[in-house]
Amino acid sequence: MSETILSLSKATKLYAGVPAIDGVDFELRSGEIHALVGENGAGKSTLTKVMAGVVALTSGAMTVDGVAVAPKTPLEARQLGIAMVFQENSLVPTMTVAQNLFLGQEKFYNRLRGIYIAAQQFLQSLNFDVTPTATVGGLGAAKKQMVEIARAVLHKAKVIIFDEPTATLTPEEKKYFFDLVRDLKKRGVSIIFISHALEEALLLADRITVLRDGKHVVTDDASRFDRTRIVQAMVGRDLSNTLYGARKHKVRTAGRRVLTVQNLKMAPMVKNNSLSVFAGQITGVFGLVGAGRTETFKIVSGVMKRDFFHGGEILLNDRPVRYRVPAPAVKAGIAYVTEDRKVEGFFETASIARNIYLGLLAKFPSGRAWLSRRESNAAGRAWIERLKVRATGDDIKVVELSGGNQQKVVIAKSLIQDPELIIFDEPTRGVDVGAIVEIHELINRLADEGKAVVVISSYLPEIMALSDRILVSRQGKVVEEFSALEASEEKIMYAAIH
Amino acid sequence: MIAAISEFANRFLGRGDATITVPSFDGALKPNQLLEKAETLLSCEAPEDLAIDGQSLLIADGVRLLRLTGPLPTVIRTFEQPISALTVLPTGRMAVALGGTEVRIYDEITASTPASVFSGNLHAVNALAPAPDGTLLATDGSTLRSVSDWARDLMELGNTGRVFRLDPQTGTIKPLASGLHYAFGAVASGSDVLVSESWRHRLVAIAPDGARRVVLGRLPVYPSRLAPAASGGFWLTAFIARTQLVEFVLREPAFRRRMIAEIDPDYWVVPRLSSGHSFKEPLQGAHIKTMGIMKPWAPPRSYGLVIRLAADGSPRYSLHSRADGVNHGIVAAVECGGDLIMIAKGPGRILKLPLASLDEGIGT
Repeated sequence: MSETILSLSKATKLYAGVPAIDGVDFELRSGEIHALVGENGAGKSTLTKVMAGVVALTSGAMTVDGVAVAPKTPLEARQLGIAMVFQENSLVPTMTVAQNLFLGQEKFYNRLRGIYIAAQQFLQSLNFDVTPTATVGGLGAAKKQMVEIARAVLHKAKVIIFDEPTATLTPEEKKYFFDLVRDLKKRGVSIIFISHALEEALLLADRITVLRDGKHVVTDDASRFDRTRIVQAMVGRDLSNTLYGARKHKVRTAGRRVLTVQNLKMAPMVKNNSLSVFAGQITGVFGLVGAGRTETFKIVSGVMKRDFFHGGEILLNDRPVRYRVPAPAVKAGIAYVTEDRKVEGFFETASIARNIYLGLLAKFPSGRAWLSRRESNAAGRAWIERLKVRATGDDIKVVELSGGNQQKVVIAKSLIQDPELIIFDEPTRGVDVGAIVEIHELINRLADEGKAVVVISSYLPEIMALSDRILVSRQGKVVEEFSALEASEEKIMYAAIH
Repeated sequence: MIAAISEFANRFLGRGDATITVPSFDGALKPNQLLEKAETLLSCEAPEDLAIDGQSLLIADGVRLLRLTGPLPTVIRTFEQPISALTVLPTGRMAVALGGTEVRIYDEITASTPASVFSGNLHAVNALAPAPDGTLLATDGSTLRSVSDWARDLMELGNTGRVFRLDPQTGTIKPLASGLHYAFGAVASGSDVLVSESWRHRLVAIAPDGARRVVLGRLPVYPSRLAPAASGGFWLTAFIARTQLVEFVLREPAFRRRMIAEIDPDYWVVPRLSSGHSFKEPLQGAHIKTMGIMKPWAPPRSYGLVIRLAADGSPRYSLHSRADGVNHGIVAAVECGGDLIMIAKGPGRILKLPLASLDEGIGT
């Protein structure tokens, strides 16, 4: 355990003269699980990208098994035994599991049957329940992770780096993933994993390293950390009370009913779902993955369609509505802040200002004759300031921002539409704790201003901290409602499962 | 023509009026069992309405007018027809509606002759309320059906409800609104009159010029009488809840015609003030019971609900007796001292709940 397999000393990486990591010392021991935590922009990704050969160090040294190395490409890193599993997996969705496993290792003559047999044997040896002939595009998030891990092990990786591995997994899949990681550890593989879920780091890791603003803050055994100590190290201040600790003692009084959903159906996900959302309140919607929460609100906002026959009824301000596309819903005052910001939330190569301006243009379903760059820049600047988006300018691309700031851009893109009903779907997924506090403050402010706010979240402390009333969804419909004053995690979870 | 095609398409696709959905009990209307926890003050044969005379409670029970000051009621007087509505004016005068067709005002509760009598144009007066100008507000549910025949009016989609202002000084009756889908309960709210329009599941505010405004719409219940609350706002009772089955029947005119013509009214597919008395009732078996036990969330054939409204008519909280309860068919609620007194017409009970416990427990 004590043998060092990989180390970095005084590692510095500059982007346009700005340090992403600055003199970081890092040490990974053989067969350990090492969690890397920090706010967005703390330098975690850069540090792991250096190890994986995606970017090269500006200064500093890296050693593998005591030998100085400087991998310049992922291929070189892989040859050194370092593999990285990215948050957005790098599998080819149209190819089968076996083809993905052996991609890049093909022989001159490949027999498909031979590949399948080899893949089957290899997956069985890892005890992974994945069919080698299945197309990757049809697999769930957990199975895709398994294929990624299997590929890393197949490439004889001694070090596997996971970037936010559990972000897209269901609670059951997470448990399975943790077992897989522990199994890899038993095989002598060293694991580095980046996670914003601090409980996961505390539960799984042997050691934890905290980074802040590109600098190393602390590395210690996981047993010596608790949640508060990690958060303090991450942000340099105690956020435990402002984040999830403060339990509500008073809830906002419901205003008029803004949204009514009656008997909504969209087979097989939404089954006779009925609920109401009121102005001036935050309505939290909790449920396990697959409970039909996202689908219900995607139907409300015109992203998805309800069943053609007897699909139920949606009323906005007591008037029946049926949106076939999102544009008329936006015009009517419904904003949906997506859970998958990277795919649905923004145009990553467009600037922050352009993205925010596009949100405004969405209020004009039939187009707008005149587009103003000045208006676009003004809107961008105003919202960057209002939401405290940390960027060097309003013309930089969204892809260059950290996760928390990207999420703020997605939120700004919706709020510029001045909506009446705002639906936040997993608003703080993949967002650092500092940004979580800011996003929570923003959501609370919206409700105080009298907007009807819906927060869909799979994270119970977030639901408890934000909501005035909590709806629990199970198997496609709302099955229970709690006032924030009467709710407890046990009650909510019981309703979500039983 | 286009409307006919549209209606046909809607019926085929289950859209528009053919969606047949019922609003959910959520928010302030979230179900609880508070009415089941209420103390039963008295069991009556045919309780209909309540009023407060100073500090004592007056109960209209069939043809009898009762006063309740202790554990047992005293009969104050008996009328020749059942009392269909009752109120006491701020001046101490008492108003009663008899059989729905006549309203009498007595200077004192025990007075032998009425000071004023209003009749002729009235047909199914089901609620009376004092107005700030000394007049009396009266709701007349239907011009076609009597007070006791409300279920038939519902099945016929009755829309002949009216609201009147009765002036005891001049003896005149002034119509305030007509064409209502069963007017059942009114209360003065500033210069407006708040009226329950039962078959349209809503509360409407009627301005002095006759203009109507929906104050609370799309209720999952059929609202009934209203009463002012001492701390501002109102109490609204709901005598039955909406179900998809009844909503479906209401959209099937041929079925309703045959049901009315051929089936004993006791077994019609209509909501009731109480249920569970006969195996011939609609909604049986697994729809309502699991292992022989009534499911609280089953489609209710009868239901009990009282809603606390804020001054602007928005609901604050509610008291329920769910499908598996017995205190159903709540038709009247008044504040008396520190308690809320209610009539559960289904089981024939007068119920009492301490107001303090309500505000503490569910006033969110």
